[in-house]
Amino acid sequence: MKKEDVVEQLATGKMNRRQFNQHLMALGATMAIVPMGSRQVFAASGDHPTVFTWEGWEVPELHQPYIAKHGESPNFAIFGDEEEAFAKMRAGFKVDLTQPCTYKVPIWRDAGILQPIDISRLSTWGDIIPSLKTIPGTVEGDKQYFFPTDWGLTSVLYRADLAPEYVGNETWGILWDPKYKGRLSMADSLIDGVMVAAIYIGAKDPFNMTDAEVEKTRASLKEQLPLMRYYWTSPADIEQALASGELVAASAWNSSYAALKKEGLDVRYTSPKEGAMTWVCGFCLMSDHDPAKLDKIYDYLDAYASVESGVYALTEYGYGHGNVKAFAQVEKDQPGLLNELGYSVNVDETLNAGIFQAPMGNEPALQAMFEEVKAGL
Amino acid sequence: MDQLTRSDMNSTDRTAAPSTNVGFALRRLFRTSEALRGYILLSPTLLTMIIGLAMPLLVLFTLSFWIQEYLDFIRTFSLKNYFDFFHKPIYGKILFKSIRISGLVTLATVLLAYPMAYFIAFRIQRNKLVWLILITVPFWTSYLLRVFAWKIMLGYNGVINSGLKSLGFITEPLAFLLYNPTAVVITLAHAWAAFAILPIYVSLEKIDRSLLEAARDLGENAFMSFVRVTLPLSMPGVIAASLLVFIPTVGDYVTPSLVGGPSGIMIGNIIQSMFGKALNWPLGAAISVMSMLTVTAMICLFLWGTHSFRRRIA
Repeated sequence: MKKEDVVEQLATGKMNRRQFNQHLMALGATMAIVPMGSRQVFAASGDHPTVFTWEGWEVPELHQPYIAKHGESPNFAIFGDEEEAFAKMRAGFKVDLTQPCTYKVPIWRDAGILQPIDISRLSTWGDIIPSLKTIPGTVEGDKQYFFPTDWGLTSVLYRADLAPEYVGNETWGILWDPKYKGRLSMADSLIDGVMVAAIYIGAKDPFNMTDAEVEKTRASLKEQLPLMRYYWTSPADIEQALASGELVAASAWNSSYAALKKEGLDVRYTSPKEGAMTWVCGFCLMSDHDPAKLDKIYDYLDAYASVESGVYALTEYGYGHGNVKAFAQVEKDQPGLLNELGYSVNVDETLNAGIFQAPMGNEPALQAMFEEVKAGL
Repeated sequence: MDQLTRSDMNSTDRTAAPSTNVGFALRRLFRTSEALRGYILLSPTLLTMIIGLAMPLLVLFTLSFWIQEYLDFIRTFSLKNYFDFFHKPIYGKILFKSIRISGLVTLATVLLAYPMAYFIAFRIQRNKLVWLILITVPFWTSYLLRVFAWKIMLGYNGVINSGLKSLGFITEPLAFLLYNPTAVVITLAHAWAAFAILPIYVSLEKIDRSLLEAARDLGENAFMSFVRVTLPLSMPGVIAASLLVFIPTVGDYVTPSLVGGPSGIMIGNIIQSMFGKALNWPLGAAISVMSMLTVTAMICLFLWGTHSFRRRIA
């Protein structure tokens, strides 16, 4: 029956009920099948691995070799922080690769969601900065659970024009300076916030504090609370506020420094005398990854760790990269830029100057303590 | 067709007599029992409610009696989480603060919504629907976007500060506008306004206008006829509006985390942290249960209060 016939029959009332029902059923069946068809089409072009990562780390510039080889980017899912990612994955969200930071690797491994990475399948493994490969908690015997690709600092970022007395005398203490009451901010996080206080009070090992040190940290956080404008959760919070002069100083990552520097602001981001923190992030292979996609998974890891991705991460975000050759490349292309971004040309020098972030002992108790301080107790 | 049906019936009659009896009994039950018909009519909604509301509540309740140890739950009955809730001052304090903030939000929302609803119900004669739709226009944008809009309004270089600065009233931006409980109250009061205007409008619209005329005829002035006739008759709308605003705002966590600053955090933020950063789901569940119970108690108190208030003025 032609289409026009159906319409005409309907209009003239010639179609009987059974015929009408037949047509309706056919239409219904067609409607039900349509999504299945397109789903298959999606699957055909989408047999790429799924990468669960931070916002901004999924940009095509950070995995160009993968696109060159496979024609398009893999699938991405974005998380706001690792706790959110962890909760989602434990609730059954299936991904192939995740990009957490080192201090989360042990707990993820204990939860049984990680699988060792076969480093023999990585062509870039030899170019990775050696000291990043052996961070405690990421390796267990000969099992490598973590592929380090990104690193950077957690340090104090301040407006040199608003707080000139700290130039050349950098210290975490600026975040405790009553002179700048209401114009300071610290990360709303254990690792980038509470650990800063632990370093400030001079804890021997900030990541495994004694009870007395925890109490000292609590006291210093309480002292700091009334000086805080807010605890920041996203780098955008402090970047805008520092640019407008609402904030004078904040704990920050390299990307905020690079962004503000680009705007031509007189900001400083160097090592405080108590020591800056070094964080390292990278990839973990999930135990429920799709084995059929393993080749592409390793291709993606190599693409992310390539020199060209490293150059982009350094020049655009100001973040350190796992591939040591990327630093030499940047120094060759744009001499002086590394120093301006706060890195030594000799990468190990920068890495050794900072305190490596490590898994925190008794994390729940520290979190509870931080919540209590924020609640004014 | 007819033939087929008849033979079909014959076959069932012969071979499956018991099942027909059951079917018959069921059909008779369906015809005679009004309750059964009602439940069947309700069943899609009822199933959704059971799966989407009752089951999760049960899970939450069960979870609150377990204990978290590192990554696992210890699944034996324990009151430890409830003990922690009462033992540590932080939870009660934050819950009390949340209720105070939500109470202020409810008060502000209802006070601001009432005149608007009154205006549309009594002063607008034509195109009332257009006015109602106009009121909801700001609420077509996402909730998050409206919170961010307030951040821009109240911010350090925000609309209010730069406005006052350009008028010469202030030289330094006012820092107290944002990142405190007041900012949370302002933002929430705006974000939930539509939920207060509509129920109040409906109850005002329903008021028999001749009652107002009678009040004036009998010598009451405009104010007193409002207090003695309009207000009591619109109380159902006011109560509905208060509940619609109060209940969801107690647990809100997006607004406090965006505009609250360190002093503006609410119980929702604590619960969120328990399920995320602090990784203590059972304690989070216990705090949720306690906060639900407290809100229920507050509402009972509120309803009892308004009930006695209505009796007194009526």
